[in-house]
This record gives sequence, C-alpha cells and structure tokens, in this order.
Amino acid sequence: MSDMSAIVEKLCRASEREYYNPYESFVWPESLDMNEWYTSPQFISIYGTPEYDAISDGERRRLSFFEAVNFFSLNIHGEKALIEGLAKRLYAKDSRPVSAYLHHFLDEENKHMIYFGGFCTRYAGKIYPDRKVVFDREYAPGEEDFLFFAKVMIFEEIVDYYNVKMGVDEGLNAVTRQINMLHHRDEARHLVFGRKVVADLFEKFSPNWSAETLAGVRQYIESYLLTTWKEYYNPPVYKDAGLKDAYELQKSAMNHPSCRAHRAEVSKACLKFLCDHGILTSVPVL
Amino acid sequence: MKTETDIKSQLREWISSASKKGGKVAISDDTPIIEQRIITSLQVMDLILYIEQLTDGSVDVESLKPGAFRDVNTIYKNFFEASNDN
Repeated sequence: MSDMSAIVEKLCRASEREYYNPYESFVWPESLDMNEWYTSPQFISIYGTPEYDAISDGERRRLSFFEAVNFFSLNIHGEKALIEGLAKRLYAKDSRPVSAYLHHFLDEENKHMIYFGGFCTRYAGKIYPDRKVVFDREYAPGEEDFLFFAKVMIFEEIVDYYNVKMGVDEGLNAVTRQINMLHHRDEARHLVFGRKVVADLFEKFSPNWSAETLAGVRQYIESYLLTTWKEYYNPPVYKDAGLKDAYELQKSAMNHPSCRAHRAEVSKACLKFLCDHGILTSVPVL
Repeated sequence: MKTETDIKSQLREWISSASKKGGKVAISDDTPIIEQRIITSLQVMDLILYIEQLTDGSVDVESLKPGAFRDVNTIYKNFFEASNDN
C-alpha cells in the first residue's frame, strides 16, 4: 500500500469513528452576554497595540465578539471555496486514490459551516462578506491543483492554531470554546491530508515547471499568506465594536511590531513546512 | 463631496503605489490594470477595501460582473458614479 493509501485509510477510519451530528452537538443560548470573552485576548487582531491598550475592558470584550464573528465568517468563506474545489476533484482521474477521504473532508467542512453560520446568524445577524475575487487564467501542468491544496493548507494551518488555543480557553464563552474545539478535532485530520497532498504535488510537478512558473508560484504563495492574514484585520469589525478610524486602525495594526510577531509565531510551523519542502526558499515577512 | 477628478486621482495613486511592478507605475484612467498585471488578483481584495473606505460602504463581491476592475474609469463607474450623481 502506498504512503498516500495508508494515510487515506487511517483518516477515513478516524473520520468514521469521530462522526457526529452538528445539529445535536450544540445547545444554542437564546442570547449572548456581551460581558463575556468570545476571542481570547491574545488573538484579538489589535492586541498589543496602543489602540488596544487604550480601550476599556468592556470595549475589548465587545470587540472580542465581533472578532469571533469575523473569524467564523472567514472560515465559512474558506470552506465554501474548499468544498467547491474538493467536489470538482471527487472521482476525477488523478484524485481517485483519495476520493474515499474527500467524502469525509466534504462532509466535515459542511458541518463546520453549519455551526460557524449558526453562531454568526443567531448572534450577529450576519456573516462578514468575502472580498476575494478569482480570475480565470491558464496554469502549467499540476499548478492549479497544487495551488488549490496549498492555499487550503495555509488557511487551515492558521485557523487551527487559533482553534487549538481557544478550544481549551476556560475564559471564553462556552459556545465559542466548543466551536473551536470541535473544529480542531476535524481539522487535525485535514491538515495531515493537506500536508501530504501539497508535498506530493510539489514533488511531482515542480521539476517540470519553468523557472518563471516556479517563481510565480512562490510569489503567489507569499502573497496569499499575507492576504489571508489581512482578512483578520477587518475594518467593519472595528466599526461594529464602536472603535474609531477603522481603516487607519487596520493599517496601524497590520504594521505594528506586536502584530507582525504574532503573525510570525502563528505561521511558523506552516512556513517551516513550506521551506522544508522547497516550496518557499525563505521565510517571508508577514 | 469629492469630485470625479479627485476620486480617479486617488484610485490612480493607490493602484500605482500598490503595484509590485517596481517603483511607482504611471497609469492612466483607461490602463487595463489586471490585464497588464499592474495589480494581481490577490491585491484586488485590498482595492475593494480601499473602495469601501472611500465610499464608506461595502462592496457586494457576489454581484460583481467580469471586468468590474478593468481600469480606473470602470472602477469609478461601478462604485462611485451613482452616489456622486445624487
């Protein structure tokens, strides 16, 4: 049995064992108490900046709620694109060996959106909109598949770092803690699959890419990392939380040394993987 | 309220500064900014955020038609013209 077949077999068994009904997993309270924390303070996007230091404890807790809505909204947008891409690859010629696991992957991503969307619509009445726009273009052989799975992996690695910490933060509202915990439980398997697929696709196709294609792929991955992070600094979140000068706040936070250090720390494992496999040749500044 | 000239100037300035083509790229109001890779597909997200800042509104990405960001003239027409005419 190949490496990938063994991994697929193991992940499928784990998914079957961990199978759950998202409609029975949660007890949704009628309303939320805005005096609770909904995002751990260290994961609030402006944490560590003078602007964060200047606001009251009550304002921080209120901000933490809208940051949670934004975090769950980002997950929804990422998972919608992921489901679209996975469904396209289900039983496709090159994907047949992994299709058994793709079924679980699709099922689990749909479940995640049920509870992310459930939280956002019940308690915020909305999902923050996605600003990503996709343009059609031509790809070198294997490039489109590689970039699809690489983007998924990058997105999920950042999210999972947050999920792991917030899933056990007893200071958080119980529902958000549970959402983070449940999400991590499935994502841990998705990340194992994602890393294997990304490494295999790069190893298979990159030797035949032109220098221009390879340089373009590397630049795209670096840009995608930064773009993904920018979504965590969302001006409408600051506006909803009652903070002033939302767009200036976003720029200021993105450039603040504390926030850069945070992004570097959260991205460290993912960047190490990308560098170890030759996908990136150096660690970018985020 | 800002004039059409002001807004287009701000858009040209933003696009020119954001371009990864090196240095400040001079563009005109009908320069095809995506086609000529003056800005990348990933940078369109930043451009949308900038448009939202200038309009103090939100952009409905789902309703965008192909070519919505073709050049400065098109961007102005799609996102600013209606409110400036009122």
